[in-house]
Amino acid sequence: MSGMPRRGLAALLAAAIALSALATGPSLAADPGKVLRIEFYVAETGFDPVKVQDYYSQTVCEAIFEPLMTYDYLARPAKLAPRAAEAMPVVSDQARTYVFRIRKGIYFAPDPVFKGKPRELTAEDYAYTIKRFRDPANKSPYESFLGGVMGLDEVKKDAEKTGKFDYDRKVEGLKVLDRYTLQVKLKETDYNFAHILALPNTGAVAREIIEAYADDTNAHPVGTGPYMLTEWKRSNKIVLEANPSFRGFIWHFEPSGDPEDKARIAAMEGKKMPQIGRVEISIIEEQQAAWLAFQNNELDILYLREQFAPVALPNNQVNADLAKRGVTLNRTTDPDINYTYINTTDPEFGGFAKDKIALRRAIFLAFDNEEYIRVIRKGQAIDESYPIPPGVIGNDPSYRSIVPYDPQLANKLLDYFGYKRGADGYRRWPDGKALVWRYSSTPSSRDRELDELWQKSLERVGIRIRVDKNRFPEELKQERACQLLSRTSSWIADYPDGDDFMQLFYGPNSHENNSACFQLAEWDRLYLKTKTMPDSPERSRLYRQLWRMVEVNGVLKMHDTRYRNMLLQPRVVGYKKHPILLAEFLYYDIDDTRSR
Amino acid sequence: MTAYIIRRVWQMIPTLLGVILLVFILFNWVGGDPAYVLAGKISSAEQIENIRRQLGVDQPFYVQLWIFIKQVLTANFGASWSTNESVSHIMATRLGPSLTVLVPLLIISTLVAIGLALAVAYVRGSLTDRAVMIVCTVGLSVSILVYIIVFQYVFAYKLGWFPVQGWGDGFWHNLIVYASLPIIILLVVSVAPDLRLFRTFVLDEINQDYVRTARAKGVSENRIMWVHVLRNASIPIITHVMSQLPGLLIGAFLVERFFSIPGIGREVILAVERSDFPVIKAITVYVAVATMIVNLLTDLLYKAVDPRVQLK
Repeated sequence: MSGMPRRGLAALLAAAIALSALATGPSLAADPGKVLRIEFYVAETGFDPVKVQDYYSQTVCEAIFEPLMTYDYLARPAKLAPRAAEAMPVVSDQARTYVFRIRKGIYFAPDPVFKGKPRELTAEDYAYTIKRFRDPANKSPYESFLGGVMGLDEVKKDAEKTGKFDYDRKVEGLKVLDRYTLQVKLKETDYNFAHILALPNTGAVAREIIEAYADDTNAHPVGTGPYMLTEWKRSNKIVLEANPSFRGFIWHFEPSGDPEDKARIAAMEGKKMPQIGRVEISIIEEQQAAWLAFQNNELDILYLREQFAPVALPNNQVNADLAKRGVTLNRTTDPDINYTYINTTDPEFGGFAKDKIALRRAIFLAFDNEEYIRVIRKGQAIDESYPIPPGVIGNDPSYRSIVPYDPQLANKLLDYFGYKRGADGYRRWPDGKALVWRYSSTPSSRDRELDELWQKSLERVGIRIRVDKNRFPEELKQERACQLLSRTSSWIADYPDGDDFMQLFYGPNSHENNSACFQLAEWDRLYLKTKTMPDSPERSRLYRQLWRMVEVNGVLKMHDTRYRNMLLQPRVVGYKKHPILLAEFLYYDIDDTRSR
Repeated sequence: MTAYIIRRVWQMIPTLLGVILLVFILFNWVGGDPAYVLAGKISSAEQIENIRRQLGVDQPFYVQLWIFIKQVLTANFGASWSTNESVSHIMATRLGPSLTVLVPLLIISTLVAIGLALAVAYVRGSLTDRAVMIVCTVGLSVSILVYIIVFQYVFAYKLGWFPVQGWGDGFWHNLIVYASLPIIILLVVSVAPDLRLFRTFVLDEINQDYVRTARAKGVSENRIMWVHVLRNASIPIITHVMSQLPGLLIGAFLVERFFSIPGIGREVILAVERSDFPVIKAITVYVAVATMIVNLLTDLLYKAVDPRVQLK
């Protein structure tokens, strides 16, 4: 055999090895011996990213599927970064056109549907995935997030008539420019659209997989992400193993302002990720069981709920026993707000007459957030007076509320506007009728505590309260119909931009998620102006102005933003709770030599 | 006998219809509209209506009721509204863990309670009898939640004799490793009331003339207690034990939640939390049917135990 053919054969062999590595396991950095054990305290519902909305199912989806965008692991506030996209999108036409270039050589995890052939991720997969949100058959809870894409309304309308969504129909808003380039056109300016495409729900699915497992797509998640679902006992146990087709990446992140980032970087810099080969997720609904399991070293990470915080975190630090065992605390604030609203369209309490505004503000002035955090949150929250929480773009820590806890002022306001006390000590409407504030809550124990707190608060100002017990779906139904007077509610960020919170007060969002049914033309005008602006000092100024208008009109009382306390066994290395990312195990490691 | 069985089966139909109607009314009255939860955080009236249409809850009540009746007749309750898992699969996969805990529990607790009841009834009025009754009364007064929390803390966490929680693969592995502590807890909880109840059944018999006659004839005490007395006391005992059988279908939700056992009880709670009507109605109907069948079996057992019983 001559040298030439031998070299040719060697080259062929090398090419074959390279190809097979690409197809079956270019990463393989993950060590099957590194097993991470974590818990969910609410059962998952399934793993079809378009169909799920709960935190737990989304966590698994984020590990299995890849959205176009993601967030930098360390940066705070959360900072967008490309994931399946090669780079940040090219945004033009006043943020109405986005062009995403997808990385070449990304492959779906092996599945019999692919008949043993490697299946590359293409722009078509993302176009198909986005269309699925609008397919009425999928009942996607995230449909509205993709509602701005041009041309899909018509396809959806036809699907409602025919009963079949035409995925092959050309859509103006979704153009596959080439195998790896997707152009998305929106009906209106939206500077946050790239954030939408970082949602775990927007991870790409392969059409042939969805069609092959159409009966139960929730049970057959096949994506291009770092992990694959290898075992699923519904509502009991989920096992993920490293996807051999995943390309991997080198851990390299810039430090944020967090002083602990230095240690994380020292431990993780340069490692090929993911390191963890197997993730075992147990569904443990009862906090006592999870707490004991963690102490028993059956779990590596524990999301410590409020109930056990006084035991585990005296003085907001891990107790001596845990500290001795090397357990550490990673604390952050959730990107959420908790608040009580009053329906501004209520025939009795609603409207914008001065006496009605004064009444609503007096109710809010009577409520003590400090007591609320101490009693309900067991100290595990921060008093929050701004509707954009820390860690979210647009947060303003310098904002001072005009409805702080001040029962004296509340009483003065009520006296001034003619809400006089009757012989029983309770106030009456100016026309002499009995004044009763209706407050809705669910039958849960937390809500019972909250009822009592509201009762106590209103006693201070002589307002009688009637607590209406409703199940959660019924509350939502009444709220959407603008028939609920008041409720303590919460909102957690879908994406880390202030717009996700400010839209809660936009008039046309009444009957959707503007729970207070607040409608003020001037407010809506200013809000629409912010929609045409990217993050900027001017937009932040407008947000402040908008929020002040909400407070002035006595629409809503902000309460708190919760801490998220994560307890870590010593073997967990490089962990940092991200405000938006859910499946952080892609970014940290397990080191058994550190176990005590 | 055959005519009796046919008549009883025939009588089950109106009872089942009553159950169907009751479940249907209750759910539609207090269950809430699941579409509002399923629609997600940001959803329009149009999206909610689409979900209601797909779930069929936009149909007139009589249409929904007819669909429900057809589901009962075909034993096909469709799929969970929350997870899309078929209800039959839910029943098939969750029943096993519940039975792994509850069947051994029922057998052990019945045997232990009968044995102890015969023993303390035999020494009625003695210090032992009184002490056992006091312990039973105290045991009865403590909530099951306290037993779960204390036993889980002491035996699983502090002593490490059992895992704190979890469920594995294989019947024997689950029975020995994961189900043992839940069974012990439920045993402690159930033996006290059973023992008190069975003791009164035995005491009713122990003073009967046939016992005196047997003693006069020189029959051994063991034979008197275990054969004559127990046989006559067995009818109320059978009634009590059989009445517990349908409960096996709905599991022991508190224990299942605290020990993360993927049983039916836990599934019921999840279904209620999620307003998952297909799961709730299937389980309710299965329990109702099981209750009726068990009642029939109980009557047949009476006849087997005591030939004097006439089935009419």
